[in-house]
Amino acid sequence: MTSPGDAAPVKPPPSLSRGVARSTSKGRFPEGPESTHSIDAELPETPTATSPTTSLPTATELPVRSASPHARSVRSSTPQLARSSLGSPFDRNIDGSDDTRSLIIRAFSPAVAIFASEDTDELVRNKGFQGGFSELIRPFGETVSGKVVIRDSVGSSRAWEDYGVRFMNLRGFGRIPTGRESARDSPLAQMEEVLAKQLITGDNILGASLPSKDVLGFPGTSPLSKLLLRQLLSSTRPAPHETFSHPVASVIAISSRNTAPLETLRQLYSESSSGHSRLPDWVNQEYLRYYVLVHDEERDDITESTKLYDQMKRHFGLHCHLLRLRSSQCVVTDDDSVQVPTCEWLSPMEHLSGVGEAETLVDLGTDGTPYLFDSDVTAIKTFVRELIVQSVIPFMENRVAVWNDQVASRRRGFSGRLVSMMGRRFAGLGSGSRSSGSGPGGSGNFDPALNSYSPETPEAILRKMADFAFMLRDFKLASSTYEMIRSDFGNDKAWKYHAGAHEMCAVSTLLNPLSMSAKIKLENIDQMFETACYSYLTRCSDATHALRSLSLAVELLKSRGGSATESAAKWAMRVMDFGLVGPVGNVLFTERVAACYASKTPAGGAKWGARRRKAGMWNILAADQWLKVGQPTMASGSLEEAERLYAEVLETEGVFPMPEMQRFVDGLRHAIKVGYLESRGFGAHDETAADHSLGTEETSEKLDKRNHRRSLIGLPGQLDAGNLNIPTSGRDTENQPNDDFERA
Amino acid sequence: MLSYQSRAALDVLIPSTPCVLSPHSQLSKMSYYFTILSPTDTPIFNIAFGTSKGGGDGIARFRFPDTAQYMNQFIIHSSLDIVEEAQWTNGGMYLKHIDTYPPATAYISAFLTPSGARFLLLHQPPQLPSSGTSGSLGSSSLLGSSASTTRASSSSVAANPTSPQTEEAIRQFMNEIYESYVKTAMSPFYKQGMEIKSPVFRTRVTAAGKKWL
Repeated sequence: MTSPGDAAPVKPPPSLSRGVARSTSKGRFPEGPESTHSIDAELPETPTATSPTTSLPTATELPVRSASPHARSVRSSTPQLARSSLGSPFDRNIDGSDDTRSLIIRAFSPAVAIFASEDTDELVRNKGFQGGFSELIRPFGETVSGKVVIRDSVGSSRAWEDYGVRFMNLRGFGRIPTGRESARDSPLAQMEEVLAKQLITGDNILGASLPSKDVLGFPGTSPLSKLLLRQLLSSTRPAPHETFSHPVASVIAISSRNTAPLETLRQLYSESSSGHSRLPDWVNQEYLRYYVLVHDEERDDITESTKLYDQMKRHFGLHCHLLRLRSSQCVVTDDDSVQVPTCEWLSPMEHLSGVGEAETLVDLGTDGTPYLFDSDVTAIKTFVRELIVQSVIPFMENRVAVWNDQVASRRRGFSGRLVSMMGRRFAGLGSGSRSSGSGPGGSGNFDPALNSYSPETPEAILRKMADFAFMLRDFKLASSTYEMIRSDFGNDKAWKYHAGAHEMCAVSTLLNPLSMSAKIKLENIDQMFETACYSYLTRCSDATHALRSLSLAVELLKSRGGSATESAAKWAMRVMDFGLVGPVGNVLFTERVAACYASKTPAGGAKWGARRRKAGMWNILAADQWLKVGQPTMASGSLEEAERLYAEVLETEGVFPMPEMQRFVDGLRHAIKVGYLESRGFGAHDETAADHSLGTEETSEKLDKRNHRRSLIGLPGQLDAGNLNIPTSGRDTENQPNDDFERA
Repeated sequence: MLSYQSRAALDVLIPSTPCVLSPHSQLSKMSYYFTILSPTDTPIFNIAFGTSKGGGDGIARFRFPDTAQYMNQFIIHSSLDIVEEAQWTNGGMYLKHIDTYPPATAYISAFLTPSGARFLLLHQPPQLPSSGTSGSLGSSSLLGSSASTTRASSSSVAANPTSPQTEEAIRQFMNEIYESYVKTAMSPFYKQGMEIKSPVFRTRVTAAGKKWL
């Protein structure tokens, strides 16, 4: 029972991920530097990064470079990865290097349902949390203080810095699926709305963050696309085909104010397992129950509570906790007030309803950001840690082991395969035509009417086991289990399950740190994403999940580097092709394509192999699109990025060899400048005044123009000869007004 | 120059399209954009043309809206990344199909000359049924007009840009142009890196395009 107080300061986390998680709770945007830092290790631009690139022996670098850019290969040649599971290779190599991976891993956290009695919610509401007990502890579940040690299926332990769980209200769980059909497409629309809102409200913050992005070299993931990803990962609702949002445990809470505590606990238990708060039938009802007694420090007697707590422990076993809270509301002026962290994982709906929006606008009002007493925070953190480390994780490990033993191993062996195949064959024969919808071949466990497997069937259990393994970050077991079941779902025509298993199989394979060194076949991964996407989109018309799997494909393939980045870019283009995202999302994915190409680095210090021109082109396209959605500031950021990328491949900086490109880029530059000035309230005519009064972006653009004009005068003869006829005439007409307007 | 040309071509065509073109010609009209780049990446020769096979009229119809014809150059320029990479791993002068720009299904084939000039051919098949359906879900704003273009089958050889027949046809085309290019470049009035303005060369390229593509 380590208290977080002494666990936390032991040593600073080696991974960035938790630090990022912390900082995001304050404001979403200053995290740019961290992310850039992690990526630019792969870029040869920064002087620090060049040394590993050039020092690499070129001879060992194969010209084929199918799986690894040098940055990756440096890493994979380190001996840690070869050791299967000693130590924690994750901490150093993956989390530290790429926080997008960590973001994705954290997105699939176990869900813990909260089922609090009325008196508990009442107590918490007095403290200023209108949502009751679940709202109070929800932010604290997202990051567990200290390390969490998890044993995987082979029995080796690994410590995680960034583990967390998702607290949710059990009462809300059953209600959501009812309104599902009507609002099927709404998460995507909501997401777009959130992005648009963020663009408006966060305009200043974004504008401020853009230059810093440039200073540090390369933007890893722009804050907005990170927001998009986070939104996407938290927007999926509980569904039968994946169990990530099904509760792994449920916390049943009563308070010391309760007059009949044990009866209330019993009643809550029966209500959650058979009453009207029972989870839908497709959820496995076999989850952990955890009992919490919330003690009111100010009104009630601790001896009474302790007595009650002992009684609870006798009745319910070890899964109990006594949480001591003060019942009065804390305000910012109190001595030991601590701001409650905001939730990182808010669904688009919650974003729009303003759950997490209080952060920047509220100054000192008590209605906005809630505060808690320091002692309360400590108590809650201790509770959460104890809940996770001592109950939830052992429970999950246990379930995985049991299911692995009882269900999976039966399938895995040769005889198991034979039996399942024979059963399938005979079942198919028995029911006549296999293709008829009513009698799907296979095991027949799938219920087409309900569109789900019942949770007791082997298929559902295997899926749940794989999900548990995934949430326990045992990606090897997860991917092998998904691999095992994915074809079964196809045989049963359970398309959503089919899609989900393919998606998660690919994701877990990509997340598996050991397959980083071993060359896994990229075609297989691509094929899996392809299948998942087809099943989601065409067979189930589930755009949210399709978009989620495509985004995961983009981010994970990009983080693998090497030729996978081109695959990543391809998937990002696919997203746009499918039209899954709105205008803002479209621009963000255009930027992702650019980022994917930009992250491809030349092999082994050679000059070729990078994708600078492609990245530059996509940034130009992004700038164009930003302008179309009316965001000149963002457009100027993209344009600067493009210029930076192009600078290395163009003979003369800012001068494109192709006349039409030149014309287009010049026009874009001008349009962005005008748009920017107009958005700042300057008319088109007083631009010059604005030139002097404006900030950083303007000066840099001006420099570019200078460069450009100088280069026009002193073009190298060779270029001149080629360019003279068409281009200069075109450029002169383009430049004339520009000159005027700068001179005026 | 190019945009002017193709715009004029479109102006002529749009009113007359239904009566002039047979349904068959709509099936297989590939559009081509051919560029010769000097070693410093400066374009020294540009031409856009359409297929003449299968009743095609030899006029390029790219999928970009008329205002976005610069995309051809962007795509060609971006494919130089791949050319630079492929030229070290591929021994031949003809590099075959090296790059694709999926949003517009534009394919790039490349040919290297010993002097460092590169021939790049962008070929764009007409809208395929598959991309047509996905485009109807909502195409990107850049290809605003693409969803409305005609649907065509990919069965004909010319419409499948990666088939061996197409590769072979492009190889023949490239070789023929290479021959003309060498002759042009050997002209005493031509300096390395200069734009090729010779009308003879242009007609030869057009003829080669008619013959092979």
